[in-house]
Amino acid sequence: MARTDADTSPARIARLPVIGTHMRPNVEAVLARKPDLVLQMAGRKEASLPVEALRRRGVPVAVFRAETFAELFSVIQRVGVLTGSEKRAEAMVRDMKKRLAALDARMAKAAKRPRVFYEVRSPDMLAAGDGGIVDEIVRHAGGVNCVADAPGKFARVSEEEIIRLAPEVYIIQRGPMNQTPLPLDKRPRLAVIPAARTGRAWFVDEKKYARPGRQSVDAAEELARLLHPELFPATARAAAAAPNKDGK
Amino acid sequence: MAAEAKARAASPESGNGEGKPGKRNVCAVVLALAALASALLFTTLLACGVGSYPTTPGQTLRALAQAAGVSLGAPVDADLAAVVVDIRLARVLLAGMTGAALSVAGAAFQGVLRNPLADAFTLGVSGGAAFGASMGIISGVAGAAALAGDVRALPVCALAGALAALALVLLLARAGGPLSGLRRETLVLAGIVVSTFLSALISLLKSLDEESVSSIVFWIMGSFQGRGFEHVALAWPYMLVGAGIVFWRARELDLLSLGETQARMLGLEAGRSRLWLLFGASLLAGASVAVSGVIGFVGLVVPHLARLMLGAGHRRLLPASALLGALLLIWSDVLARTVLPRGAELPVGVVTALVGGPFFCLLLARNFRLAGRGAGRG
Repeated sequence: MARTDADTSPARIARLPVIGTHMRPNVEAVLARKPDLVLQMAGRKEASLPVEALRRRGVPVAVFRAETFAELFSVIQRVGVLTGSEKRAEAMVRDMKKRLAALDARMAKAAKRPRVFYEVRSPDMLAAGDGGIVDEIVRHAGGVNCVADAPGKFARVSEEEIIRLAPEVYIIQRGPMNQTPLPLDKRPRLAVIPAARTGRAWFVDEKKYARPGRQSVDAAEELARLLHPELFPATARAAAAAPNKDGK
Repeated sequence: MAAEAKARAASPESGNGEGKPGKRNVCAVVLALAALASALLFTTLLACGVGSYPTTPGQTLRALAQAAGVSLGAPVDADLAAVVVDIRLARVLLAGMTGAALSVAGAAFQGVLRNPLADAFTLGVSGGAAFGASMGIISGVAGAAALAGDVRALPVCALAGALAALALVLLLARAGGPLSGLRRETLVLAGIVVSTFLSALISLLKSLDEESVSSIVFWIMGSFQGRGFEHVALAWPYMLVGAGIVFWRARELDLLSLGETQARMLGLEAGRSRLWLLFGASLLAGASVAVSGVIGFVGLVVPHLARLMLGAGHRRLLPASALLGALLLIWSDVLARTVLPRGAELPVGVVTALVGGPFFCLLLARNFRLAGRGAGRG
């Protein structure tokens, strides 16, 4: 019935009224909608204060944490219970699990799992750590996140560290966190990494990759096609490759 | 450090010798500056040898020599050369230039305004540069240019902001009377007003556009992360012009710091001279903010340190400030990029504030003690 400023997907929710931003939800605007249920993503301290205020006024608030596929599945199921659509939630989770399993089976045939670097933000360089949804997407897609032992969603890294990590694939997310990233071939200091030498660098959509949700499975499938085109029949390859090839 | 000890040993002769260039005095100054310069060279070599990518001193030297066109044995591999030269050496150069520029600017501001607390911050110059950069980010002008591989747009916004802020401060101060008759507090007050106002405007920009917050914060928090030779190339012309103006007028700085009346009695056209010096110092500070963001404490602390070592005469104070500032910022940047694991970095502005704050307190305490002893004796 209402959304935050940043929630624009799926497209049909875009016309819903906005109650503020995800960092600073407006309590008055939320109360004015007289909601039966308020859902919030955990992990932002400054955003949890206004929501506490809602709870004190008797509005039911459910706060979720979904930073892995397992957490995502349980969130979908619990939201299903809370909104009385358990069946649909179950079906959705079943479908996502099935697609991931199929993808895993296909990737099991991969001769080699390339080392992937996922850029969250630049030039103030932030990479995907090994504790978030992106790390799992990379793994399901038949790759290895080269930023290891960095628990959590993000890891701060320097250019020098990227050269040391020597990633074979360089993925740059484009979206609110990384608004105007340079393509890899416009970054002279990273020209020595294997990904730059072989041209295996792509832009991806931040909303698809870094925001856990149904589209996370799409992201894994898309990335798998980029990392292992040899494991997909030629027709499927042609259909999937087009939109993000400009990262090279 | 050995160099600093040597320099301090040289200071008794020169400590209060303003304007009487005895032979021993000049010798001591030259010796101290030479010691600082060699410390700077040594520091550059050391700083190119540390970082998260493993390098041995031998490899570092070979990579540097190779970049200079000298071959010392087997060529190093491309990764290593890129790390040592394109990343570390570029950063060391940029940090050195910025440290020198900020310190010389600080010394000039302090001399012109006869105020030990004056620097690019108190005059609103840093705030202006930060505001210019924020506008660039928000309006998307610089963002779009950066996407096309052009790093020049944002720094130009910052420099324009710095000069505009200086102009505004001068205008404000002038409202109280002609510039040549200015009292030294007026400019600092006007600077603080402008700088507070600008920081409010930056906060406004940030809250209007939440999505750009991280870009703006990254820009404002000083850092050399992700900087390279393109930034060195961008900054040096402005810094050279700024430094040229300030060094050329070092004698006038001496006169100005005696005070308005004395300066005029000694035949100085105080108003114009002051404008030139402020312009030169603002070029230095603005160009620094433009390539490295806002780095505090260097411009404030280094001139005091240099004065302690070599006395207040600007012809020695300015070069000493430049060398010391370069040393300080290079080492701060080395700390900033090595203290955290996995090549994660601290903003260098945080390091300079953490190191500079307590150090400044020590300096103050020492000055008080010396002043107290002097008063007791007299």
